[in-house]
Amino acid sequence: MLEISNVSKNFGGLLALSEIDLIIRPGELVSIIGPNGSGKSTLFNVVTGIYRSSSGAIRFNGKDITHMKPYQVTRQGIGRTFQQTAIFSRASVLDNVIIGQRLHTRTAVWGAIFNTRSTRREEAQTREKARQILSFVDLEDKDSQIAGNLTQEVQKRLSIAIALATEPKLLLLDEPTGGVNIREIDGLIELVEKVRKSGISICLIEHKMRMVMSISDRVIALCYGKKIAEGTPKEVASHEQVVKAYLGECYAAPGK
Amino acid sequence: MKTIEKLSSSPWMAWLVLLLIALIVPMAMGGYLITIITIVCIYAIVCIGLNLLFGYTGLLSVGHSAFLGIGAYAFGLIAIKFGLGFWPSFCASIIISGIAGFLIGIPALRLRGHYFVLVTLAFAVIINIVIMAWIELTGGAGGLAGAPRPDPIPLPWGDVIRFHSPLSMYYFILFFLVIIFAVSYRLINSLVGKTFIAIRDDENLTQSLGINTMSNKLVSFTISAIIAGIAGALFASYNTVISPDSAGFMKGMEVVAYIIIGGAGTLAGPLVGPLVMIAIPEMLQIVPEIRGLLFGIILVLFIIFLPRGVAGEVSLLISRIKSQSKHT
Amino acid sequence: MPPISINDTGDRVFVVAELGQYLVNGISQGCLYCLLASGLTLMLGILGVPNFAHGSLYMLGAYIAFYVVMLLNVSYLMSILLAAVILAVLGLVIYRFLFYPMRDAPHANLFVAAIALLMILEGAALLWFGGETKWLILPYSNDIITFGGMSLGVQRLIIILATLMVMLGLELFIKKTAVGAALEATAQNREGAMLCGIKVTQIAAMAFAIGTALAGVAGALIAPAVMILPSMGLGPLLVAFSAVIVGGLGSIPGAVLGAFILALVESLTSGYISATYSLVFVFVAMILMLLIRPRGLFGKEL
Repeated sequence: MLEISNVSKNFGGLLALSEIDLIIRPGELVSIIGPNGSGKSTLFNVVTGIYRSSSGAIRFNGKDITHMKPYQVTRQGIGRTFQQTAIFSRASVLDNVIIGQRLHTRTAVWGAIFNTRSTRREEAQTREKARQILSFVDLEDKDSQIAGNLTQEVQKRLSIAIALATEPKLLLLDEPTGGVNIREIDGLIELVEKVRKSGISICLIEHKMRMVMSISDRVIALCYGKKIAEGTPKEVASHEQVVKAYLGECYAAPGK
Repeated sequence: MKTIEKLSSSPWMAWLVLLLIALIVPMAMGGYLITIITIVCIYAIVCIGLNLLFGYTGLLSVGHSAFLGIGAYAFGLIAIKFGLGFWPSFCASIIISGIAGFLIGIPALRLRGHYFVLVTLAFAVIINIVIMAWIELTGGAGGLAGAPRPDPIPLPWGDVIRFHSPLSMYYFILFFLVIIFAVSYRLINSLVGKTFIAIRDDENLTQSLGINTMSNKLVSFTISAIIAGIAGALFASYNTVISPDSAGFMKGMEVVAYIIIGGAGTLAGPLVGPLVMIAIPEMLQIVPEIRGLLFGIILVLFIIFLPRGVAGEVSLLISRIKSQSKHT
Repeated sequence: MPPISINDTGDRVFVVAELGQYLVNGISQGCLYCLLASGLTLMLGILGVPNFAHGSLYMLGAYIAFYVVMLLNVSYLMSILLAAVILAVLGLVIYRFLFYPMRDAPHANLFVAAIALLMILEGAALLWFGGETKWLILPYSNDIITFGGMSLGVQRLIIILATLMVMLGLELFIKKTAVGAALEATAQNREGAMLCGIKVTQIAAMAFAIGTALAGVAGALIAPAVMILPSMGLGPLLVAFSAVIVGGLGSIPGAVLGAFILALVESLTSGYISATYSLVFVFVAMILMLLIRPRGLFGKEL
């Protein structure tokens, strides 16, 4: 589904990503782990087009998306959330999810000004669909609240809801439990599983090993921008270099 | 308390009352007052357009005087030099303003933040210089004379509406103000408007949702240019003389000031701003020499202490009162 | 007129003198833009403040020179120093009461605040000094030096020399003093500077004051050579901003280079194409730079 081939990213002198190869198959849940600064978020940014890769290619469902702009990548079917919770804090929860559906709506200036039937129909549809998505993530009771006033956990759920509204086939989640207190993590793990069961492939960046171990099909470990291990959660957890990386030492992966 | 709740729960009532006031009261006004409120209406039109761009899409343009000028001069040139009547010239000037907005927007909108603002200023100054220097076309500092008033409108019972008197021009311009207000109201409340607001609040997030922010910004910019162009053409018809002052770049900054003081990102803001900043100094007979200084002081106080402007702070106050009365 | 013309004997003659005149004009004008742009880039780079009122500060410098020399019989040299000092103090006041309280506001609000400041300063000048043109006449005001077919007013020469000294002084201050080093550090990395114990707020205030002082000096330097009016600062302001963009935000060498490049663009297009449209060419150059290389010549990667 998603093929990342030999992708590197150079920032001036800093090699943030080095010859990354990664494949995500439909229906999989793949986790990416690694110490801070190992290039995990950078990888997401390169895939979604926020950064331009210095070399290599990225294909999604057969299409070359290496040089696509962020909005074009999303239209191909890749959704994402951000490490620093990105929501529209001044808007209501419902409006947040409505905007997430915008790329699938066709209302333009003319229709908006003259309040045509198709415009009204679309507005009703997006409202209805937004409520459905909110009930999927368990936030339907908060639909009229202002997003910025909510707790971190609710905001994380909301950001997932917004990403879901874009109807992705692959969802990139960047630390969906970041800043969330321990009691709430299980709830989020359930939500991610629920998303996966609904047919969306997931690529997850996470630090919380409990989450990674319990739901991942495959785990990939990065260190200083290089892939140092790949396999099932058990394999990677006991991998010598992964342990060393988390303790502070990093070596180049000997082959794959 | 009860009246506030009544008014805010059906804003239609408030707007209707306002419209009735705007229609009826001027009939009792003298020529001088009518002139003032007519100018207020023209600036309110510009402000509605700029509010769409700045208040709702988050793009600060200090150079919108360029489109005022383009609208006015396009209207005047086509009417005077090509001899076309009011309506063909008016429509042509609207189209030309739109094209200008589109063409200027394409390079300008590739930039963000400070750079975008400075480029809008640069374009405004460029247009101002061209207007002043291309004397064969624009008459330079002297301007153009002879812009037409609207054609007389025949009524079903044989009578005719003529647009010679200040009051008739006031109603003509008020008509456009109401239409443009309605258009902006519809846009803001639609998915298009929600997209603009999303771009204003977090452009990167909006892009990540598959929305082509560049084309949305261009639409917002072009619409605001068209609206400013309409105001320019109306001003030209009203004055019948087109002068470069209307396109001076300080005008562009004044319009921004009106929006800030009125309340950026609100529906009432672009109406309140010009009303407060134009009508009140006139009525208090404030000497022109002091006006610049006073203007600056008022603007500074607003931007530090009341950045949401009159309409913004009032609506915040109303929602606070409402949520308090819910608790009691 | 093109730089190449045909003289009486039918030979092509490269009219060096004319080209040279435009270059000389450009350089002396460039000095003023250089002073303005340096201050502007400090304010924009360190403080994130796009100081639209910079031209008004320049205008105040000119008025101070005028009043101090004409009414108080102070020497011209003294007036330049006074302009610098008064504008520096004014800069501190403006920073403390306007831009410091707004440090967390969205950048659009800072723009509006600067515009308001411009209105206040021009309005005040109009009120207190009156709108009639003032002329600062000095004993040597009409003296001109000629060399090789080019002429240069004595005042213009003073401008060039003074700018040289001021910029040299600024460079020494930044590179050789501890405070200057702190200034540079804050400009490059604000958080890093804070972590090092640098009092960023005080540095920011100083940067602002240096910027306003530079504007005051520029105004005092130009005062004997131009009409003194409340609106005299608007044109130079626009060119100075363009110079900052061309050179790159926050970079003083960039501002200097940008200032001279644009001054030459202005001077050469004024001479060879059209004086009225010369400012348009300056802006077109600025717009082109923004489209091709938005960070400017020496700016940081955006």
